[in-house]
Amino acid sequence: MPLLELDGVTRRYGALVALDQVAMKVEEGEVRAVIGPNGAGKTTLFNVITGTVKPSAGLIRFADQPIAGLPSHQICRLGISRTFQITALFPEMSARENARLAAQARHPRRWQPFGGARIFREAQSLADAALEQLGLTGVAERPAGLLSHGDQRLLEVAMAMAQQPRVLLLDEPTQGLSVEETAQAVDTLARFLQASRMTVLLVEHDMEVVFRLAHRITVLHRGAVIADGAPDQVKADPRVQDAYLGGFA
Amino acid sequence: MSTLALLLTQFVNALSQAALLFFLGVGLTLIFGLMRIVNFAHGALYMLGAFVGYSLSSWSGNYWLALAGAPVLVGLFGAAFEFSILRRLYRRDAHAFLMVTFGLALVVGEAVRLIWGSDALQVPAPPLLSGVIFLLDEPFPVYRLFLAATGAVVAVAIWQFLERSRLGLLIRATSQNADMANALGVDIKLIRSCVFGIGCGLAALGGVLAAPLVTASNGMAATVIIDAFVIVIIGGMGSFLGSLIGALLIGFVQVFGNYYAPDFALAFMYLVMLAVLVVRPGGLLGKEA
Amino acid sequence: MRSATRLLIWIVVALALVLAPLGLPPFAMTLLTEAVILGLFAMSLDLMFGYTRLVSFGHAAAYGFGAYACGWMLLHTGMPLLFAVFAAGLLTGFIAIGVGWMCTLATGVSFSMLTLAFAQLLYAISFKWTSVTGGSDGLAGIPRTIGPFGFAALSSKIGFYYLALGCLVGGFLVCSALVRSPFGAVLRGIRENEGKTTALGYNTRLYKIAVVAVSYGLGGLAGALYAPFAGFANTELLFWLLSGQVLIMVIVGGAGTLIGPVLGAAFFMLMEHQLSALTEAWALYFGLIFIAFVLFAPEGIWGLATTRLRRAAPRP
Repeated sequence: MPLLELDGVTRRYGALVALDQVAMKVEEGEVRAVIGPNGAGKTTLFNVITGTVKPSAGLIRFADQPIAGLPSHQICRLGISRTFQITALFPEMSARENARLAAQARHPRRWQPFGGARIFREAQSLADAALEQLGLTGVAERPAGLLSHGDQRLLEVAMAMAQQPRVLLLDEPTQGLSVEETAQAVDTLARFLQASRMTVLLVEHDMEVVFRLAHRITVLHRGAVIADGAPDQVKADPRVQDAYLGGFA
Repeated sequence: MSTLALLLTQFVNALSQAALLFFLGVGLTLIFGLMRIVNFAHGALYMLGAFVGYSLSSWSGNYWLALAGAPVLVGLFGAAFEFSILRRLYRRDAHAFLMVTFGLALVVGEAVRLIWGSDALQVPAPPLLSGVIFLLDEPFPVYRLFLAATGAVVAVAIWQFLERSRLGLLIRATSQNADMANALGVDIKLIRSCVFGIGCGLAALGGVLAAPLVTASNGMAATVIIDAFVIVIIGGMGSFLGSLIGALLIGFVQVFGNYYAPDFALAFMYLVMLAVLVVRPGGLLGKEA
Repeated sequence: MRSATRLLIWIVVALALVLAPLGLPPFAMTLLTEAVILGLFAMSLDLMFGYTRLVSFGHAAAYGFGAYACGWMLLHTGMPLLFAVFAAGLLTGFIAIGVGWMCTLATGVSFSMLTLAFAQLLYAISFKWTSVTGGSDGLAGIPRTIGPFGFAALSSKIGFYYLALGCLVGGFLVCSALVRSPFGAVLRGIRENEGKTTALGYNTRLYKIAVVAVSYGLGGLAGALYAPFAGFANTELLFWLLSGQVLIMVIVGGAGTLIGPVLGAAFFMLMEHQLSALTEAWALYFGLIFIAFVLFAPEGIWGLATTRLRRAAPRP
C-alpha cells in the first residue's frame, strides 16, 4: 500500500489550471523526484499536499487517511514535513534552537504550562540527532542567519527531520547554491537518504541532482503528469524530452 | 423643515465632512503605500496647516493666499523632515518610524502651542464664501458647499496626477516594487521626499480648509489623527481609491450618526471599521489578506 | 565574576525598592508607585511587541478596562482592594481572548489597526455609557476598601506601594518564565518567521491569542492598580495617546527584555515630571528625546546598559 497517494488532484486559479488531475503513488522508503519546466505546478503540488493551498478537486491519502482540506498544521502533525524553495529559517536563533523548535512542534506535551525544561531536553535530543544526520553538529551553535547557504539548506532538512516525519518534502534543496556548494550538499543528502531510508518527495531543477538522488521520477507539464517511472525510463521518454529535457538526455 | 430638504442639507454636509477627511486620509495612505510608514504626526501637521493658514491670512488679509501657502510650507517642512531624519531609518524596523513620527507629533504640537499660544484662533472665511445659500428653501453655509467641491476637485486632481504624470507613474511603480524601480534607475530617495512632502501638504490643506469651520486649536491634532487612521484602514492601507471611499463612508456615518443617534455616533465609526476589518482584514481595497 | 556583579546589582535594586518607603518623602513615593504601575503596563506590552512582534496600537484598552472594572467593583460591590485588583486583571485577560481571536484574523499593520479599533470602541463606549462609566467625568472617589477580615495593611499609601511592587515582581516572574518556556520559544519563532512556524506544525493563531490574553491580562492588572492608586478612572486611560505612550516606553526601554520596558516607563515618568517642572514646553523636549533615541540608541536604555556585558558574553 502506498504511503502517499494522490488521485485526480486539481487546483484552479480562475481560468488557470495549476494542477490537472494529478495522480501519483509514493511507496514507503522511496525517493521520488517531481520534475518539470517552470510553471509546471511542482510547488503548487507541494502546497496542496501540505495543506497551505486547498485542492479544487481530488483525493489525497496519507497512510490511508484522507488529508485533502485539513489545515496545514494538522497535516504536518500527521507526519509530513517540508522544506521551502526559498530558505525559511529563524535567523537569530542558533541552528540548534531552530531544530529544537521544529522537534518541539511534535512534542505531545508542548502546551503543558510547566515542566518546560524536560520538554526542551527531549526536543533537543531529537534535534541534535537530526543535525548530526545532516552533518551540522559543528555549526550547531551559530545563529542560523550566519550559516553558509549550503548549511542553511541542510538545516532546513534537519529541521524537517527533527520532527520525525514519515514523509519528507524537499522543495529544491540546492536552489541558490553555487556549483561547489551544490556538490557538497548533494553528497550529504545522498549519504543521509541512504542511511535513513526516508520516504522523500523531491522537487529539483538540477537534473544531475535528480538522477543522483531519486529512485523514481514523476514529470509534470502544465499541471498534468506526463510521465512516471524509473529515471532511465523517464530519460528515454520522447514526450519528456519534448516538454522538458531538451538536449539533456 | 421638509424631510427632503433635511436629507439634502445633511447629504451636502456629509460630503463636505468627507472632503476634510479625505485630505487627511489620502496623504496618509500615499505615504504608507510608498514607504510602509504609519505617520503618527499626520494630525499634528494638519493642525500646523491650520495655524500657518491663520498667520498667512491675518498677515496678508487674504484667505486665498493662506489656502495656497500653508500646504506648500508644511509640505516643504515634511519633505525636509523626511530628508533629514526618516531617510536614515529605511533599513530599520517599522517601529522606528512609529516612534520618530510620534516624537514629531509631540514636537510640532508643542511648537504650535509656543508660537501661537493656547487659545483657539478664528480664521475668517473670505467674503465670497461666508454667506448662506438656500437648498430647497433651507439656508446652508456656502463654505461647506465650497469644501465639498474642493474635495471633489482635489480627488480628481490627485487621481489624474497618479495616472497621468511622470512623477505619479514613478510613485505607483515604487509603491509596487521599490527594488525593481530602483534597479530601473528611479531615484527612490527623491520620490520618498516628494511623497512625504505631498502627503504632509495635503494634511495641511485639510487643516487650513477646516480652520474657518472649527477654528484653529491645540486639540485638533489628536482627534483627527484617529479619524484619518480609520479612513485609511477601512479603505486599505496604500490605496488611493480606498481612502476616498473610506472618507465618504466615515463622513456619512459621522454626519448622519450625529444627527440621528448622537450617543452612538462615535462608536458607529469604530464598529464600521471593525466590521470591515473582520470581513476584509486588509481593508476594502487593500492587498494584505 | 560577571554573574556575581549582576547578582549584586539585582540585590541592590531589590533592597532599594523594598526599603524605598523608609527614605523617600511621600511625594516621591507617589511617583515611584506610579512608575511601578506603568512599568507593569509596559512590561505586559513587551510580551506582545518584544517577544512576538505583535504590535498593539490599542494597549490602553487593557489598562483602561482594568481600571474601570476595578474602580466599578470597589465603588459598587464592597469587594476588598486585593480581590478587586486581581479580579479586574483576570476579567481583562478573559475578555482579551475574544479580542485576540478577532484581531489575529489579520496580521501586520492590520493587526495593529484592529487593536486600535477595539481600544477606540471602548473609549467611545466609556464616554456614552454614563450609568456604569460616569461618562466624561469617569469614576471618582474610588476607595481602597480594606479586607478581607479587616486586613488593612495594603490600603495605606505604603502598603499600596508594596502591593504594586508585588504585582510588578510577580508579573516579571510570570513573564520571564513564559518567555523561557517552550511556549516562549514558539513566540520567538512567530516573531522571526511566522510562516515557517506554521509550516513546522504550530497553530500560530492559538499561540497569538494566548499571548494577547496574558499580555492584556497583565495590562489590565496594571490598570486595576491605577484606579485605586489615583482614586479615579477616566476616559483618558482608554485613549490612543496612552497606547502610543506605552509603546514608546517599551521601545525607549528596550523591547524584548522585560526589564527594559520597566525602565522605559520609569524614564518616561521621570522625564515628564522633571521636564514639566523645568519648562513649559516639556513636550517639545520630550519629542526631541524620542527622536534622538531612535536615531542614536535603537536598542533602548537596557540595550545601552547591557551592550558591553553582552558583547563579552557568549550567546545564550
